[in-house]
Amino acid sequence: MPRLIRFGLVVFGLAVFGPFLFAPSLHAEAPPFQLSGFATIGMVATGQSDLRFIRPSINHPGAENPDFGPDTIVGIQGNMALGQRASVVVQITSREDPLGSYEPRASLAFLSYSPTPYFTVRAGRLRVPFFMHSDTVDINYAHPWVRPPTEVYSLNPFQDLDGIDFLFRGDFGNTNIEVHPYFGDSVLAIYQGGNSHLSNTRGLNVTAATDRLTLFAGYVESDFAIKWSGADFLALGAGLHQLDPILPGYADSILAQISGNKGFSTFSAVGAQWDDGIWLLIGEYVRLNSRLYTHDAHAWEVTAARRFGNWTPYLTLARHTEDKPSVAPNQTGVPMLDAAIDAFTSARNLSQRSITVGTRWDFHRNAALKLEFNHARISGKGWGNFFARDPFNANMRDRSINTVGVSVDVTF
Amino acid sequence: MLLATAALSSVHAQEKENAVQLVTAINGEISTLSLEEAAQLFLGHRTTLRDGTPVTLIDLPSGLVRNQFYQLLTGKNPVQVRAYWSRLVFSGRVRPPLEASNQAEARELLAKNPNAIGYLPVGAADAKLKVLFKLPITATN
Repeated sequence: MPRLIRFGLVVFGLAVFGPFLFAPSLHAEAPPFQLSGFATIGMVATGQSDLRFIRPSINHPGAENPDFGPDTIVGIQGNMALGQRASVVVQITSREDPLGSYEPRASLAFLSYSPTPYFTVRAGRLRVPFFMHSDTVDINYAHPWVRPPTEVYSLNPFQDLDGIDFLFRGDFGNTNIEVHPYFGDSVLAIYQGGNSHLSNTRGLNVTAATDRLTLFAGYVESDFAIKWSGADFLALGAGLHQLDPILPGYADSILAQISGNKGFSTFSAVGAQWDDGIWLLIGEYVRLNSRLYTHDAHAWEVTAARRFGNWTPYLTLARHTEDKPSVAPNQTGVPMLDAAIDAFTSARNLSQRSITVGTRWDFHRNAALKLEFNHARISGKGWGNFFARDPFNANMRDRSINTVGVSVDVTF
Repeated sequence: MLLATAALSSVHAQEKENAVQLVTAINGEISTLSLEEAAQLFLGHRTTLRDGTPVTLIDLPSGLVRNQFYQLLTGKNPVQVRAYWSRLVFSGRVRPPLEASNQAEARELLAKNPNAIGYLPVGAADAKLKVLFKLPITATN
């Protein structure tokens, strides 16, 4: 808790004094360096004592309730101009990671070059642009929710793209079109140890935007490796290896479906957003298909928000559905081992549906307070966006869970 | 009749009070600017003019003039504009406009930076600045 208090003090210190610290001094020329920042202090309370809300692969399952881990974040960004056409962007963020650390990390660190108004190339650490709102998934001030709907945004939790991208822009009448190919690698730490790794990632996004309507479509494919070293994986491995005397190599063949470096995945997303100043309507559909190691799944969300001055109440419906687990069920014929495999894949099955009602209140020129109530129902054998405090004795099936989220978002 | 005249002059006065003009240095590199181009610049869709001339945007501090300017130019209200710009800035795509602390500093920045454009209430520009256009757009504009 003292760590969290220190973190909170830093966030609010930056929010209050940031404008004075980082206000650009005015010279005859525009300054080549600008600092800015964003922060969220957020808490989420889970209505069932044996469960905790979690953003899978983003934050560490907390013991506290309410938990400040899932949504609290602070980021500082520096933009340095290198002449008129190039710039360097570095963004450092601190948030609870899957290992429970708040250690600051570089979330952006790239060189950008725009030889013409219609073309930009960027190289370095970029944000993975898998979703319509990938750019702002951590910038909670930029969107209406406490957090983007987790049913959709947990389907692909990778954050960084270490690589290169190209932004081609064109104006066609009153429509702005952006074509965005990208290439690179990404690594994600896993709770309890291990990591997952996207390599040779190659994707293409196309965005068409008018004053009010934005349409987005994206497709990406990637080589995929995952290395589990958590307690449940080690227990599963030990159990399967008991078959070695009678079925040599069988355990390894099962484990090779769960962990290894021969995976390949494709991810598709389509989305639309309408914002006429009064109504804000958002919809997004995403699909993940994977060869080995992780499940196939799809998810969608629809949001309707209406602005009443500084108040923006909203309603979101969302659903995440597993299409195929990483390991087919009932493979071994040994009930205890099949149950162990089932438990392992279920804990990674995020299937759930939910309804969220909430409101955003822009109470200050650079700050918004948000309050939302979420009612989720876990589907099938999944665990949804929840973590059982006693994972080896968890009964998650068809549970209905309420959560309340409260957050303050600031930019400075 | 008298009442109607008084009401009309009140409307004109209010229009004048709320009118904002887009300005740049009188000897600067920007000679003309279309409404559409200005909207794209202040929405971060582009950072240069069509001929490739880079542009520095000067914002006034939060307040009525700034809100009025964005509403008239982009059709977006203050809450929308702030959320919109936070999206652009923190994705690292666009540098935010330079915020002057008051109108005098905005005038100074605009006058000394040949690539800068900004906005001021009608009548607040000085001899070092020229008006690119006035908002709201009217038949006489």
